[in-house]
Amino acid sequence: MKLNATRHFFAGAVLILTSLIPALLTAQTPTASLSGRVTDPSGQVVSTAKVTVRNLETGQSAETRSNPDGVYTFSNLAPGTYTLSISADAFAAKTSQVTLTAAQQTLDLMLAPAPVPEALPNAPSAIPASPSLGDLGFSPQQSQPNAQLQALLDKRTEMLKIHQRLGLITTIPMAAALITGPMVAAKGKNGQPITEPTSANLDFHAALGGTTTALYFTSAYYAIRAPRVPGTEKHGAIRVHEALAFVHLPGMILTPALGMMAYKQENAGEKVHGVASAHGAVAFTTAAAYGASIIAVSWPIHWKFWEKQ
Amino acid sequence: MKRMTLLALLLAATAVVAQPDTQWVIEQSALTYHMSHPMHQVDGVSHSAKGKGVCHAGQCDFLVAVPVKSFDSGDSNRDLHMIEATRSAQFPMVIVRARFPQSDSSPATVYVDLEVQFAGQTASYAHVAFQRETHGKNVRITGTVPATCSDFKIDRPSFLAVPIKNEIPIRVDITWSPM
Repeated sequence: MKLNATRHFFAGAVLILTSLIPALLTAQTPTASLSGRVTDPSGQVVSTAKVTVRNLETGQSAETRSNPDGVYTFSNLAPGTYTLSISADAFAAKTSQVTLTAAQQTLDLMLAPAPVPEALPNAPSAIPASPSLGDLGFSPQQSQPNAQLQALLDKRTEMLKIHQRLGLITTIPMAAALITGPMVAAKGKNGQPITEPTSANLDFHAALGGTTTALYFTSAYYAIRAPRVPGTEKHGAIRVHEALAFVHLPGMILTPALGMMAYKQENAGEKVHGVASAHGAVAFTTAAAYGASIIAVSWPIHWKFWEKQ
Repeated sequence: MKRMTLLALLLAATAVVAQPDTQWVIEQSALTYHMSHPMHQVDGVSHSAKGKGVCHAGQCDFLVAVPVKSFDSGDSNRDLHMIEATRSAQFPMVIVRARFPQSDSSPATVYVDLEVQFAGQTASYAHVAFQRETHGKNVRITGTVPATCSDFKIDRPSFLAVPIKNEIPIRVDITWSPM
């Protein structure tokens, strides 16, 4: 029994020590990092430049690309001497040497434009080895990154996602209000005094209408406040979606206003009369325009969605 | 026997070297991506591709580039979502590089290795089949690049909480003319 306990103690001690060795070894290995910015001679950043480092002693290499700000980063490199190669479309490739110590080092790189090959007739050497993006004649507006525009698009998408979700959620109380509306209206038929316990129905319908209105305008806020993208001409189903807002937006103002009037009349035991009697028709028109607006923005709808694509 | 082998090798080498250097440019193009969703089937097309090809010493190098925002799906709102989802303001171009051996014959199908830069990522597609048709001096190439959203780390846009399919095949129809 005592022997077993001793064995277990030693086995445990060995296990702990063994598990600590890699951690200790790792802790003793210093690492370095290298980063910098890639620019052209005019100081403009060069993104997606391919940057490669190769350790001259071990032959190990790593590769990365400069980000939209032109910044490249290598981390966890062993200290030593490296060759650093960099290439980018429309620029001459560049190689340099760098010695890394166990610290964070910075090395900014400037690329010169690729030389234009001389077009000598009948000279095979005049043909470049491989074509580059600079050969294709795209304008800087087409080919240069624009971080500000990306941020604008991100914000726009985020706001329109909220608009879409709230818009879809709005359909639930809207549909319920449409169903409960006629039930409420039926109570005051022929000017008879309302004897049925309609107040609960009426209040429920009014609550659904209020919820619909609140959700609708919150959703509309996100659509209206979503940033516009300059230089974009609207075309396609989105124009129908927006045009329909000229029907359902006034409808969503009128419907609750008329509804409040009708509510007061119903509560006073009167048959709904005057302009308030248009409440139902306006509500149905608004809902129809709203539904059409959702269908328009979803167009083209692949109806046979159950089919294998 | 050795002499025959040497002669054959020499002839083969001469045939490769003797292949004329040629340069090609895009005459016209239609690149079409296809996006699938349970409720949507959308095609976005661009006719704005520019490209150049160089065949030299038995090797052909082709480069095709197209601005991402030139793709038109028929709805500007959807196109703006696509530009956002593919981070195209930061990475505005799709750049395709192709390399294949120069051939004297004119096969109906050519197999090409492609390197595609898109959305800040690079993906390789090996042995992609393209149909080849000759129209006078021009050559028309058609085929489909089997691209996927995950190849380029694109977060798949969703509609009604259902994301689009991962596959976004790109149909290529390019007519090249010699320079």
